[in-house]
Amino acid sequence: MADSKEQELKTIRKKLKELLVSHLSLEDVIPEKIKDDEILFGEGLGLDSLDAVEIVVLLQRNFGIEVKDMSQGRKIFYSIDTLANYIYENQKK
Amino acid sequence: MYIAGIGIVFNRGRGLVNLEKALIEGWVKPAPAYQVPAETITDKQVLKEARRADNLTKMATIAAFDALMDSGIPEQSKEKLGVILTTAFGPHVTTFGFLDDILTYGDAGVSPTLFSHSVHNAAASYIALNLQSRGPTLTMTQFADSFHQAIILAESWLKEKRCEYILVGSADQIGKVMEYICSRKLKPALDGKIKPFNCAKEPESIPGEGSTFFLVADNEKYNKYGSISAMPSNNKKNDPDLYILDSDGMCGDERLYSRLAKNKGLFTSYAPIFGSMLTLSSFSCAAGALMLKNQKLYACPIKENPHNFNILTKNETLSVHKIKCLRYNCYQEELIIQLEMKNF
Amino acid sequence: MPATDVAITGLGAISAAGNNIQETLDNFTLGKRNSGPITLFKTGLNYPAFQVKDFTLADPAAMRSLNLTFVAANQAIRDAGFGNGFGNLRLGICLGTTVASQLNDTDFYHQYRTQGNAPMNSVDRFLKSNLAQSLSQYLKIHTNFCTTIVNACSSGTDAIGVGLSWLRNDCCDLVIAGGADELNRVPLDGFGSLSVVSKNLCAPFDRDRCGLNLGEGAGIIILEKETICRNRGRKTSLFLKGYGLAADAYHLTAPRPDGSGLEQALERALKEANIQPNDVAFVNAHGTATRDNDLVEGKTLARVFGPKIKFLSTKGFTGHTLGAAGGLEAVFTCLALRDGWIPASSGFQNLDPEIGVAPVNQKTQISGDFAISTSLAFGGNNSALVIFRS
Repeated sequence: MADSKEQELKTIRKKLKELLVSHLSLEDVIPEKIKDDEILFGEGLGLDSLDAVEIVVLLQRNFGIEVKDMSQGRKIFYSIDTLANYIYENQKK
Repeated sequence: MYIAGIGIVFNRGRGLVNLEKALIEGWVKPAPAYQVPAETITDKQVLKEARRADNLTKMATIAAFDALMDSGIPEQSKEKLGVILTTAFGPHVTTFGFLDDILTYGDAGVSPTLFSHSVHNAAASYIALNLQSRGPTLTMTQFADSFHQAIILAESWLKEKRCEYILVGSADQIGKVMEYICSRKLKPALDGKIKPFNCAKEPESIPGEGSTFFLVADNEKYNKYGSISAMPSNNKKNDPDLYILDSDGMCGDERLYSRLAKNKGLFTSYAPIFGSMLTLSSFSCAAGALMLKNQKLYACPIKENPHNFNILTKNETLSVHKIKCLRYNCYQEELIIQLEMKNF
Repeated sequence: MPATDVAITGLGAISAAGNNIQETLDNFTLGKRNSGPITLFKTGLNYPAFQVKDFTLADPAAMRSLNLTFVAANQAIRDAGFGNGFGNLRLGICLGTTVASQLNDTDFYHQYRTQGNAPMNSVDRFLKSNLAQSLSQYLKIHTNFCTTIVNACSSGTDAIGVGLSWLRNDCCDLVIAGGADELNRVPLDGFGSLSVVSKNLCAPFDRDRCGLNLGEGAGIIILEKETICRNRGRKTSLFLKGYGLAADAYHLTAPRPDGSGLEQALERALKEANIQPNDVAFVNAHGTATRDNDLVEGKTLARVFGPKIKFLSTKGFTGHTLGAAGGLEAVFTCLALRDGWIPASSGFQNLDPEIGVAPVNQKTQISGDFAISTSLAFGGNNSALVIFRS
């Protein structure tokens, strides 16, 4: 059970990295090189508020997930790990 | 006001070196439109804050940057630097991309990045961001009058001392939908030749794209390419040595141009170099300013001349002081921008 | 600086707050908010908006923005006493917009996308709807000073600022200036995707504000050289004294957090008007009711004018009318100076401790002769006008 969860999270993380690089136009960033715990906003990847709302659209289009409350965004969007976990939890419901 | 620097991005490259090269070479068959090659707008240094920017913004940001660099105005002047960008159609490729989103994903599934880049002033904002200029920054649109109006405003701002220097320029782009619209509304030049001196009722056109910027200032010490004005006096004494006509087929009926054939002075048109654009006059002014600086004239790229204009037939070194860039807009109103280099 | 005095001799406004000046003032007094669902186009989004009602399009073939322009321009022209024409005066036209500058007809594009071709009537409508050009055609005026400003949400304010520049440089005697915009699916969806549209009625500067409501309308003023105004025996007490414009150079959609761009625009406008911050009776703020705008703007106003500054946002009455906002709010600022009162900043209830200052929450008498109208826009444009009552 734990294995299949980890397997699924791995798939989500991979897809997420590819989506972020292509849809946020992250030039010169190679998806596989993004660390799972890399901070996405400000530090790390250096994303900003416009990227945050773009990620909301990406989640909706690609995972069918609505982020209704942007005030939660900071926690959910902290890293690839937190994002992947959020997707995993909410997809299962 | 004086032109201290010029930046240009067009179908044959970036910068005045490529402009001069293109003017010397003359007409080259466009393939099939006058599109700016992708590699012309990939400067990572200049575009480092512009990862999300569309091609219109990239062209404008590079042209504005180059004009500032060319001018040599002091670095600490950025509080006093204004930006005026004019565009006939704005970032329509991004706008249609946003409409794609609406149609594909519905009202609630659209990209905020596309939306925010679909507004006309996105490019000017990127220019200000890139140059860290905090002065007045304005975007305007007036179809064929766009560049003319921008020059008027730049002159007004400098006289008021609203800023000390202004980057004033134009940017327009080609896109699939706009090319389709042009093909429906205008007569395409199937042989690849825009014919500026045909003065045709239904003139032929080929869409072009690009951006040109001028760094202008009132202070004569920045006089590198002569002066520029969209409010020249209209008396006879003010006849120019050279006319550059913007008869590029974009405004329909061009028969009115034929009345100019009797005027003294030489005639040329560089529409066949740049392509048809409502903001062509900014490109014509760049060519004109370069000629004033170099004291060289570049031949008409297309020499068909049924109305016997006194056209420039070859590249030559010739003293030239005053140039008028002239366009009749869709309402047959005459728009003139005058370039002048006094001290020779 | 040339010493040309620029008078404001005519006002015209149409928005959900009222289809003319008197209706607007009545609704301001009553605190009436004419919002409702959008009926102009189909949308899957459920946001309230401020749509203009009971409005007949003078030219159904033209864009709605242009028709709104005609209404406000006619009001302003009549108000200025030019109902029978402008005689030999040299005119300028400068108008701001967002929607009318874009070919964003979804039906046209849908057909092009699916069939590879589409009828040209949408394109023709777009080509006929450059606001300044079309108003000059409509009024049968030929002028070399005719332009449309597309500076996003500060377009209306900037159009008035450009008019001021033209008059000071003696380009014209008179300028028809302001802005117009219509409710449209593209900005509705776009602002929605940016998470800045509220599902409830907007609450500018309120602690619990959660976004803007879109609106539509047109606000137009007649700017006139004071000498021209005097020569034709027209009395006026309103003057445009200063305009300031500054770029944030920060971000495409977020305002510079320290508010220094707005501060610079205000400083430039005050300097041009040759006044100090404490000469200002009130500020008609941009106040869109988004978290970011109101925080930055409120704090900056408090810093520049002191914590006791009277300010308001009229967007609780009009919604955010984008390119029209600066035009409408210049008109409202003139009316307030003329009549000596400002309406309650509609929608405001609770002080936001982070902002630290509150807008007026009731109809308020004002004393003093100078007022300011601000606009902040996408791309970090900040603009301010100084208006004076003699």
